[in-house]
Amino acid sequence: MWLDISLVSIIFIGLVLLGSSRIGTIIRLFAFQSLILSSIPLQVGWTDLTWHVAAIVLGTLMVKVFVMPNFLFWAIRHVRMRREMPAILGYGKTMLLGGVLVGVAFYISSKLALPNPYFSHLFVPAAFSIFAIGLLLLVSRVKAITQVIGYLVMENGIFLFSMLLLDKTPFLVEMGILLDIFVAVLVMGLVINHMTEDYEDTNTFNLATLRD
Amino acid sequence: MTLLLYLILLPFIAGLAAFALPKNNQRKILLVGVALIHLMVTLALWNPGVSPTAAVGFLELDVLGKLVLSVISILFAAVSVYLWEYLKDEGSSNRIFTGCLLLLLSSMTLVTASVHMGLLWVALEATTLMSAPLISFERSRQSTEAAWKYILICSVGIALALLGTIMLAISSGSLKTVFLSDLLAHAGQLTPSWLKLSMVFLLIGYGTKMGLAPMHTWKPDTYAQAPAPIGGLMSGALTACPILAILRLIQICNRAGLSSFIGSILMLMGVLSLGVAAVFMLRQKDFSRLLAYSSVENMGIIALGLGLGQAAYWPSLFHLINNALTKGFMFMLVGDLYQHYRSKDIDRIQGAGKSMMIGALLILGFMSLTGIPPLGTFFSEIMILTAAIQSKHYLTAVLFVLFLSVIFIGMAQAVLQMFHQGPASKSEPQTITGAWSRATILVMGVLILGLGLYIPSFMGNILRSTQAALGG
Repeated sequence: MWLDISLVSIIFIGLVLLGSSRIGTIIRLFAFQSLILSSIPLQVGWTDLTWHVAAIVLGTLMVKVFVMPNFLFWAIRHVRMRREMPAILGYGKTMLLGGVLVGVAFYISSKLALPNPYFSHLFVPAAFSIFAIGLLLLVSRVKAITQVIGYLVMENGIFLFSMLLLDKTPFLVEMGILLDIFVAVLVMGLVINHMTEDYEDTNTFNLATLRD
Repeated sequence: MTLLLYLILLPFIAGLAAFALPKNNQRKILLVGVALIHLMVTLALWNPGVSPTAAVGFLELDVLGKLVLSVISILFAAVSVYLWEYLKDEGSSNRIFTGCLLLLLSSMTLVTASVHMGLLWVALEATTLMSAPLISFERSRQSTEAAWKYILICSVGIALALLGTIMLAISSGSLKTVFLSDLLAHAGQLTPSWLKLSMVFLLIGYGTKMGLAPMHTWKPDTYAQAPAPIGGLMSGALTACPILAILRLIQICNRAGLSSFIGSILMLMGVLSLGVAAVFMLRQKDFSRLLAYSSVENMGIIALGLGLGQAAYWPSLFHLINNALTKGFMFMLVGDLYQHYRSKDIDRIQGAGKSMMIGALLILGFMSLTGIPPLGTFFSEIMILTAAIQSKHYLTAVLFVLFLSVIFIGMAQAVLQMFHQGPASKSEPQTITGAWSRATILVMGVLILGLGLYIPSFMGNILRSTQAALGG
């Protein structure tokens, strides 16, 4: 029951993200989505793996809810314009497309054999939906910072999906994945920082000198 | 076995040490020293006496991993020696550059030794992250743009691969494993629907990292903006890492009876890459971008060969070796030309053949890039073509020959232009500055020529044993 509500609200936040234009709002919505996400391992009832689950929950909470949002706010501190450029398709159409993608995610999931355990019928479709929403956010926006958030939302989808394997995934590999994502955002943030110094803006339309 | 662990840890610790060392000169010595030790240990691993066969957890070096590791190690050593004169003792700090370069070597070694698909993913993503700072070493607007495109496109690609890896684990049912040995042992019991979906995601993901069309868009920008030796390292050694990941997928699919499924996707991506390369190589103005599209082409040839099945496996791997050597060789050679002419434009590099040595080396590189006999690439391309015809993929064979011919014309135009004496010709003949750079380029040239004229028997044996490892 609570699990289903959490899953639905995670998808819902994703759709709201697609329609948001203020960068501050986008970062905060991402942090909120990650907060709900980090509670999922506690809800799915892996009771015999307390130490492992606790490390995952705390790691996600620290990295995705506190460190990354603050770091992203730091990376854009010089940027005067805090509003996103109009989305390539327009916000309304992007949200509509997001809704279509959620439908596709549910359709594909219905065709696949259910993994065991599957916790909730919403679990696999929710993971696919968030992944697709993240990808859509990434390709439909022009600000570098929003593209990073898109990437992180994709990773949230993967995180949700990987919960199905929590009992068998080696701890070392999980931490490696979390570290890689953390460093990825760190490097992206530093490049954005370079960009703001070079262009005084993080609009990726500026990045158009290299072409054939 | 522990030897393998040291091989990963040595460059890792050296990389961290490079961030701590105070002087540019000390970091350079560290870089070259570690690269040469890495090369010696890697070559020693081929000795049957020190075979690291015992599977301890996540790390094991099979023949495929060893082959890719050797390619990486040889190219890395060559690039390091070349960098000896490229990196200046005075001026801006090379701390981040050398540090990331050593960490990149460590993560590439980890890729070759991983027999857990999750760890393989972690190591591959680490190679992307460690190579991104290398691209923007000569900081400019363009290199920032290139680094952004590189890290974003490759990270998204590799995120798709992570999703695919999780699906792979789900396909194994209650086992929930991505250990290669478990997957191979239980290949028959994998759930086909999940397995197929996971293969699609994994191939797109690792294909992005390899630079296969249509996910190749980061490649020309990155290779054109990165320092020339880094371009060589990326197109030769770094691309070998996702190829190894794809070899692992082929192993799994062959055991699971999905050879034709994965084969047809790989062939499609391969032919598409060849087509894209052919279109963009005609009338290309910038030589580095030309080399980047040539890399898209060669990745396409390898993907096509691997897709064609068993008959073309070892020619594809032979092509991988030759491509790595040639790309390293070519990027280093043109790196010197760029400095001489202060431009990467083909129009502005004129009269390059004035010096006998540069002329001869350019022609050697050109022949190896386009696959002209007697060089190794000709041999592998003919073998792949034969395999395509024998397996009755006639359309593929026709497109393969067509695209290769167009690419030959594009490449020939560019190289002829560089030999042409024109207004931009310089009066003084061009030489390779620096004795170490010259020695590196000459050794690589000899290796390329040697592999064309004669395949040593031990190498023949290695290539044959990869065939058995891949199955099919």
